[in-house]
Amino acid sequence: MSTGVWTERAEKVSQTVKGIFWSRTSQRIKVFLLGRSLSDGLIAKLVLCVLLSIVGYLYMQPLIYMVSTMLKPLNDLLDPTVGLIPRELTWENMHTAYRGLVYGEAIRNTALLSVSCSIVQVFICAVTGYALAKMNVPFKGFFSAMIILSFLIPPQVIIIPLYVIYSKLHLLGTIWVFLVPAVFGQGVKSALFILIFRQFFKAQPISLEEAAKLDGASTFRLFFFIMLPLARSACLVVFLFSFIWYWNLYYEPGMFLTNSFTPLSIRLDHLQEVLNPSPFGANTVQSDVDPTTESAKMGAAFLIIAPPIIVFMFLQRWFVTGIERTGIVE
Amino acid sequence: MNKPLDIARQRYLYLFKKYGVGMLFMLPWIIGFSAFVAYPVGYSMFMSLHKVDIGPDGFQYHWLGLKNFHDAFVVDNEFPIDLISFFQQMLLMVPIIVIFALLMSLMLNQKFPGRFIYRAIFFLPVIFATGQVLTELFAQGAGDIPFVDQYNLGPLIQKYVGREFADTVMYVLGKVILILWYSGVQILIFIAGFQTISPSIYEAVRIDGASPWDSFWKITLPASVPFISLNMLYTIIDLFTFPDNPIIKHIKNNMVKIDTGYGYANALAWIYFGFIFVLIAIVMWFFSRSMSRRSVRS
Repeated sequence: MSTGVWTERAEKVSQTVKGIFWSRTSQRIKVFLLGRSLSDGLIAKLVLCVLLSIVGYLYMQPLIYMVSTMLKPLNDLLDPTVGLIPRELTWENMHTAYRGLVYGEAIRNTALLSVSCSIVQVFICAVTGYALAKMNVPFKGFFSAMIILSFLIPPQVIIIPLYVIYSKLHLLGTIWVFLVPAVFGQGVKSALFILIFRQFFKAQPISLEEAAKLDGASTFRLFFFIMLPLARSACLVVFLFSFIWYWNLYYEPGMFLTNSFTPLSIRLDHLQEVLNPSPFGANTVQSDVDPTTESAKMGAAFLIIAPPIIVFMFLQRWFVTGIERTGIVE
Repeated sequence: MNKPLDIARQRYLYLFKKYGVGMLFMLPWIIGFSAFVAYPVGYSMFMSLHKVDIGPDGFQYHWLGLKNFHDAFVVDNEFPIDLISFFQQMLLMVPIIVIFALLMSLMLNQKFPGRFIYRAIFFLPVIFATGQVLTELFAQGAGDIPFVDQYNLGPLIQKYVGREFADTVMYVLGKVILILWYSGVQILIFIAGFQTISPSIYEAVRIDGASPWDSFWKITLPASVPFISLNMLYTIIDLFTFPDNPIIKHIKNNMVKIDTGYGYANALAWIYFGFIFVLIAIVMWFFSRSMSRRSVRS
């Protein structure tokens, strides 16, 4: 009889243990699926991934359209039943685009322009930003205001006077028309870069500077050997942005670089005339979409953005973490 | 006799020691600013008040006063319409871009596998969302969302927002993906901005029993108000040079016309700038007011 009581009790205990075990497991599964807060559960992550994939697909659709159009032969392009996936692939359009852009020469021009200008910009914007952040400069507030103002003035307002100035300096049609302003801190969106550097240098502790000065470093030494190496991530961010914006620059090259030294964007503009010359001369208004050259144009567009995409693929991890740390925002 | 000169010299020496190196660092920018910004701005203002003819020996100016500005609104029958329609577009595009950037950055800021791939996708347009490639895509009509045509939204929109605004809405909807491509930098700024909010605040409110929904409205959103205003400003400035911009085309056309010329084109550019400047001022005023009120309250 007594053993009967004990087995009963033992069973009860084991059942409660089992119950606790099961409730714990279910709890664990629940936490695993739903998470402690909204964002770290499995379901939430799945929903997030699906949502981002859908938006990402929509977002990338023009790019997909571009790639699919450039690989389509003319028949597929004119056939409305053919969607994004062409019936047969052709490299003909790419060849046409390659020849029409004179790609080898154009890419050399563009690369020379954007690499040299962006290196210059990194350096000069760092110098200016450092002066504004850490040095004694009279009228500092005025200069800062002017920097912001120069960011606001659209290029259309001052393009004609600039044209006159550059033609007087005999810069038109050469790479100097972009290098000279960059050297003097007026390159593409340099105001933004100066502000990035200013923010970054402001965040550096003043004790660092004092320590270096106590050890006898001159201002130049301090800047070139301590501050600039510290600002590596800011430099990378500025370099990449500057590189990309110079690579894509279109309005200014269209005004200043018309004849000999033309970058890719201008050649894309003239591609229509090169591939399919209008019988009425270059100045006649052409229809926006010409099916015979549409594929080639898309191919050319792809050829233009391919090099920066490759650069970006390699550097994007540093790029993103760099931006998070540069203090692009306070 | 020599004494005041000496004092002056010492004063200059002192000023040089104090400011010299800093000015040296600033010097390239100052030269560049006066040569490539300040002078052209003044010159362009001067031109906008004249009729500019290209003679055999350079430009010839005829004083017109404010006639160019007057003509832009009264004689020109394209410019005011372009201006209004562009501003309508902008009023739609700026919120779309900023809200989209905010949502995307909120999602991309979560921790999940493959985050870097998604981040790469959403930053990718930064690479080519400027310039000629985009113009080409615009010309070919890429980047519309399929359901606008599929469900025949045109009449519906016309019914709800009125006929004047419907064209703008349809235009923006037709190119909405390419417009969203303008949000790459904004997403970056938001993500960087979220890093400035300390995680311990979130932990504290979670212990106090706030749901993620609460913590978004009470912490994330108020803390990102400065970044929202920054992004709005950046977006407006970025849209200045939107490739599909009718005003820029109009300005370009007027530059080469014989009866209008550079002077008139400059006047148009200044009017355009003036309007954008007012818009920027309104945004800045609005956000600075809301921010200062918040700091008073807290």
